[in-house]
Amino acid sequence: MDGNSENIQFSWGKRRAKGGAKMDTQFYESFTLDNVKYSLYDCVYLFKHGDPEPYIGKIVKIWEQNQAKKVKILWFFLPDEIQKYLKSPVKEKEIFLASGNGIGLADINPLEAVAGKCTVICISKDERNRQPSPQEQAMADYIFYRFFDVNTCTLSEQLPDKIAGLEVNVLLNPKDELVISSPNAANVLLNANVDEDLAATVPPSRSVVKEEESPDAAVPLSQPAVKEVDANPPATVPLVQSVVKKEDQKPVAAIPLSPSMVKKEDKKSVAAIPLSHSAVAGDEKPVALTPPPRSAAAENIPKQRQSQNAHTGERPTKKLKLTQEATVKGTTPATTEKRPLELPSRQADRSKWFKIPWDDRLRIADEQGTLVYIQNLDIQFAAADIEELVREALQLSCIAKPINHPTYDDPNNGKAYAIFKTKNAADVAISKINSGLVVGGRPLYCSKGLLKVPKSSGTLVGHLSLYNFKIGQKQREEQKKAVSTSHCSQPNTIEYDLALDWMLLREKQEKKFEILHKRHKDDRRGFASIGGRIAKAGK
Amino acid sequence: MEASKEQASKDYADFKEKVRRTIYLDQLSPQVTTPVIKAALAQCANVVNVEFIVNYTIPYDVPSAALVELDDDMQAKAAVELMTDFPFIIGGMPRPVKATHAKAEMFRDRPPCPGLKKEFRWVKQGDDECETMKKLKNLAKKQESENMALIKNLLDEEKELAKQQQEALDANCKKYEMLDLVMQNGAIKNLAHRYGVNLDD
Repeated sequence: MDGNSENIQFSWGKRRAKGGAKMDTQFYESFTLDNVKYSLYDCVYLFKHGDPEPYIGKIVKIWEQNQAKKVKILWFFLPDEIQKYLKSPVKEKEIFLASGNGIGLADINPLEAVAGKCTVICISKDERNRQPSPQEQAMADYIFYRFFDVNTCTLSEQLPDKIAGLEVNVLLNPKDELVISSPNAANVLLNANVDEDLAATVPPSRSVVKEEESPDAAVPLSQPAVKEVDANPPATVPLVQSVVKKEDQKPVAAIPLSPSMVKKEDKKSVAAIPLSHSAVAGDEKPVALTPPPRSAAAENIPKQRQSQNAHTGERPTKKLKLTQEATVKGTTPATTEKRPLELPSRQADRSKWFKIPWDDRLRIADEQGTLVYIQNLDIQFAAADIEELVREALQLSCIAKPINHPTYDDPNNGKAYAIFKTKNAADVAISKINSGLVVGGRPLYCSKGLLKVPKSSGTLVGHLSLYNFKIGQKQREEQKKAVSTSHCSQPNTIEYDLALDWMLLREKQEKKFEILHKRHKDDRRGFASIGGRIAKAGK
Repeated sequence: MEASKEQASKDYADFKEKVRRTIYLDQLSPQVTTPVIKAALAQCANVVNVEFIVNYTIPYDVPSAALVELDDDMQAKAAVELMTDFPFIIGGMPRPVKATHAKAEMFRDRPPCPGLKKEFRWVKQGDDECETMKKLKNLAKKQESENMALIKNLLDEEKELAKQQQEALDANCKKYEMLDLVMQNGAIKNLAHRYGVNLDD
């Protein structure tokens, strides 16, 4: 871990309200880490020290207090974690959203623990949930439709009204993707989204435009509105679209916001000016500019906001927050701070995250009971061959690796570790393989778990020391350094004689291995021919 | 489909190239690290990559081993020759390292060999073949334990040799120490006087 010299790109997104006992907590609705933008309610992978298994959760709060960046994460459970309470079969890629009240529902984590984005799609048939398209579902990393109550330890398909104090809507499928699939329907849904949290990054502009076309703002607004519409249709691929938009929004939002905000504070009627202003300034990305007028409008034109309320008919409590945010925004120009952050070992952790070392994986799989040790394979089989074999013969997917020791293992007996997805799959694989799977005339056999291999003692047998030879401190240090030296032994030293002893022993050993392995091969061949004859006779 | 096949055979050809320029070092001290190997081989080859072999299967404390990728197969050949012709010592005396040319199956991460047959079948209880396969399985298990027994035997042999050498070395050390002592405390003069030997000769 030498990541201390690495600067990982980080910047805050838009601010939300301040809070905390001393008003020293600044909430945000998004941030950009390592060039990936994370917004509220995004699903993410989390890294925890000492546990290389991925955690999956939803970001439900982002804030900074005393220089510490925190995120509150509402957890998803993997089927393994709640296996005890699972009564019905689990769908492929299925995970479970935490609900209820109690330990395990949500936790506060350092923001740096976020390791990457994760696509989780809700396939609940509930009407509050936007039904995902088949492509979306296919592209998702995980799906969910059941909720695990951490208090009662029960599973339910019923959407609870609130989870962790949040309306369940925000936790379901993100609505902005709908913009692409059906622009008309989007408007209605978008509003709901907007009202709930300002985090709604892309969509607000349009709904705002439509609703706030008060006479004075009409002219300049129409321009971004048009652009907005233009921007939407070409984006046919949902994911790309949203990404692009978010990216666009980030840089532009920073600059034009402040003037418009300041001006808006003064008078509501001026609202038109900053808008046109911003439309000019960031004419390519009107999307980014629309949120400020929206919040300003929310602050200054309560009536309009209420009409919006009526329109969407949702949650006045959240509205209150909205006003708050607007105030905050008005007083503090929202400039994105680009601070190079020094996050030691962060990078290393993340690379590990997606490519956990094989050793750790083995250990974890062993603990979880998903590790199978397969023997008697053809030594020629590579990892992909073994995986394919398991897939075809057992209809199970696994990650496998051949593990023969080049010096010591019998080349007649190919060995491999295979990690299956679940404990169940591993058990099935073991019983099936042991019941009689023959590959190329070799009956395979397997067992569960990691073989016990003693820890290396740290020294090599045959590396002698002169520990009882009295040598000075200086010499000893030199000798220590000399451990990492190398040379060809010269024939006029004791060492040379001793080394020759070792070479002789090695030759003998190699011969022994050779003889044994040849005999093994012959034995096998003899058996195979007998087997062949029996098989023929049987026919 | 054809393209992927081509790709696979190309991958494998590349891999075979890599195998050719890689050497396998065995009987290394566990303290040996990548930079140590790099420095050790600097006189005859440039090390591109070192991959240590993790022991997953041998239930004994076996010496460390590594696959060392060099610039080309000429260097690999030179390195192997050097280490087989002379006792080559890395990071500890006097046990030399062993070097051989790498083989494809030594690599844990390798592309699948194209054209390798992977036909499988199931044998059930009651089949004619079942008995044979059972016996073959038992044979494999027996062979496995024979192999382990041999390994244990060899490791014991090594320990024995190390012990002998250590004893010899200690005895040698003691001898020199004694000589030193005799020289230092003047006992040598007494001895010379007694035996009538002139030390100046």
